[in-house]
Amino acid sequence: MQTTNPRQRLLTLLSIPVFLFLVVPTAIVVPVALNDSRYITFPPEGISFAAVAGFFADKAWTSALTASLQSAAIAVVIGVILGATAAIGLHGRKFPGQQAVVGLILAPMIVPTVVLALAFYQFFISLGVLGSILPIGLAHAVIATPYVYLTTRASLAGLNPALVNSAQSLGAGWLSVFRHVYLPVILPGLVSGALFAFSVSIDETVMSLFMQSPSATTLPVKMFTDIQFNLTPKIAVSSALLVTVATLGLLFQVMFVLKRRSTARMLPLAVSAPN
Amino acid sequence: MTTSVISAAASTRTTASAQGSIELRQVRKTYGDVVAVDELDLVVEPGEFVTLLGPSGSGKTTTMMMVAGFEEHTSGSVLIDGKPVDSLPPRDRNLGVVFQNYALFPHMSARENVEFALRMRKVPKAERRQRADSALERVGLGTMGDRKPRQLSGGQQQRVALARALVFNPAALLLDEPMAALDKRLREHMQEEIKTLQKSLGISVLFVTHDQDEAMAMSDRIVVMKDGRIVQSGPPEEVYNHPLTDWVASFLGDTNLIPCTVLERKDGEALVDLGGLGLGRVRDRGVAGENYAVSIRPEHLKFSSEASADNCGKAALVSSTNLGATVRHRLTAGGHELQVRELSSDATNRPAPGAELFVTWEPDKAQLLVLEQ
Repeated sequence: MQTTNPRQRLLTLLSIPVFLFLVVPTAIVVPVALNDSRYITFPPEGISFAAVAGFFADKAWTSALTASLQSAAIAVVIGVILGATAAIGLHGRKFPGQQAVVGLILAPMIVPTVVLALAFYQFFISLGVLGSILPIGLAHAVIATPYVYLTTRASLAGLNPALVNSAQSLGAGWLSVFRHVYLPVILPGLVSGALFAFSVSIDETVMSLFMQSPSATTLPVKMFTDIQFNLTPKIAVSSALLVTVATLGLLFQVMFVLKRRSTARMLPLAVSAPN
Repeated sequence: MTTSVISAAASTRTTASAQGSIELRQVRKTYGDVVAVDELDLVVEPGEFVTLLGPSGSGKTTTMMMVAGFEEHTSGSVLIDGKPVDSLPPRDRNLGVVFQNYALFPHMSARENVEFALRMRKVPKAERRQRADSALERVGLGTMGDRKPRQLSGGQQQRVALARALVFNPAALLLDEPMAALDKRLREHMQEEIKTLQKSLGISVLFVTHDQDEAMAMSDRIVVMKDGRIVQSGPPEEVYNHPLTDWVASFLGDTNLIPCTVLERKDGEALVDLGGLGLGRVRDRGVAGENYAVSIRPEHLKFSSEASADNCGKAALVSSTNLGATVRHRLTAGGHELQVRELSSDATNRPAPGAELFVTWEPDKAQLLVLEQ
């Protein structure tokens, strides 16, 4: 049925190279990580898990991984709280200056990261808190918040505003309204927002680089600095790790979140159409 | 067992029905420069079924939302059971609200929906379930407790919404166009059911609708609203038969409006000159204005074979249309177009179009009113 039309067949044929172009450069890190060599080479000379074992045995790399996970955790928790409350607070409301508020929330997606990085660097250095993972996590939370805001807002679009009134008239306070009216509706949006926040933070390099210190080096920063001196396969291992995490997140999203039709419209979409 | 629970619940209600009054005093609501509701005074007595009837934009829904507490009034005061509730949030007003599209929680079963208010009031689980089930039974959904709202028909969802609004014995029930989404037959059925339920519980109801048939069928009292104000309030028959303005007359169904000059007003009756229709005696509720007219419902105009002095005019039949149960006759009389409606069974041996005949009416069925438009 899908190949009866020659134009469709042509389209399918054409999309294969595009798909490969998108996926292969990313996927190539996996064989490189499993390469049986002391350097980054391609094609791999043999399959071995030595580099993977080496990665996890190297304190410098595991602490970078830990730092990344910590900053991601901060970004997810704060991003979800800020993004979700902003989406709920703005839901079904009209007031002067609303567009400006929405623009402000979305701004971190548009402002060049290097500008943000410099701003955060100066801000945190004047507070004297640089040197720990906290400022990096907070900066990541800022760029993660708009994603959570957008996914939550998209899932709220299906909410009948009368449900809030109806819960209130039945005796619900704000906490019960949130738990019984908002939460069931926004949960898929929250989950995918959290996944976005996680991958935004895990992947973020520029800000982390500006705010790095020996005690706060995230995985991408460690990769970036290392690649200039020694081409160890551990870099490929961490890349493979990031790719795997991202793929798992995406898979999770497809299987559990996108299944629900109400949130099907949430993905990248929202980015291109902020209102 | 279940029956005794229901009757027990019903009897608690009956004793509680001494309460349940709703009162609005000089309530006003403005949005910027727009006045949505203007100095509204309204009392719903305990056990009374009061309908706010008006077109969209008349302020009827805003009024209800202010009673429920979802909208804050700009000035004035709302009282429930004689106590001001102006500073109380909706959840503390103890009112059962049924919304236009029911607003059932989609992820909860019918029973969980009904239990919700009890859960919020920390009623123990076993009692909660028992009360929810008996409430569902009361609305004829005893076996549907486990279904999700989307698995229920519109009428069933409406019943769940009713059970949910009643299960916590609220002071009064607010219904916001609850039948708007139902088809005609089901709507009529639900009207009767709600009315019966309301009577057996003795609960006060404030009902909002734009459907005059619905208002006529259900209300103890109809409050007609227009542009944020009450234009007329009274029992359905009174508002229907004795509208105070031509707007009320035409909003509540078809009517014949005949411009007139008032010759004499005395003891609730007026002698009027209806131009080509001669002199007539009509009811007078003391309205004052510049231009007057007489409103006579099409079903209150009768054909007559001979002329009489008052309340009788000569008319020419233009057309007759059979509408099934009734027949609609169009006539011209002294330069006025008139409509007469009679039961099909009465409409035998009517003359052909063009024939001349007389129309007559009882003074009590004709109302002197003020021409606004």
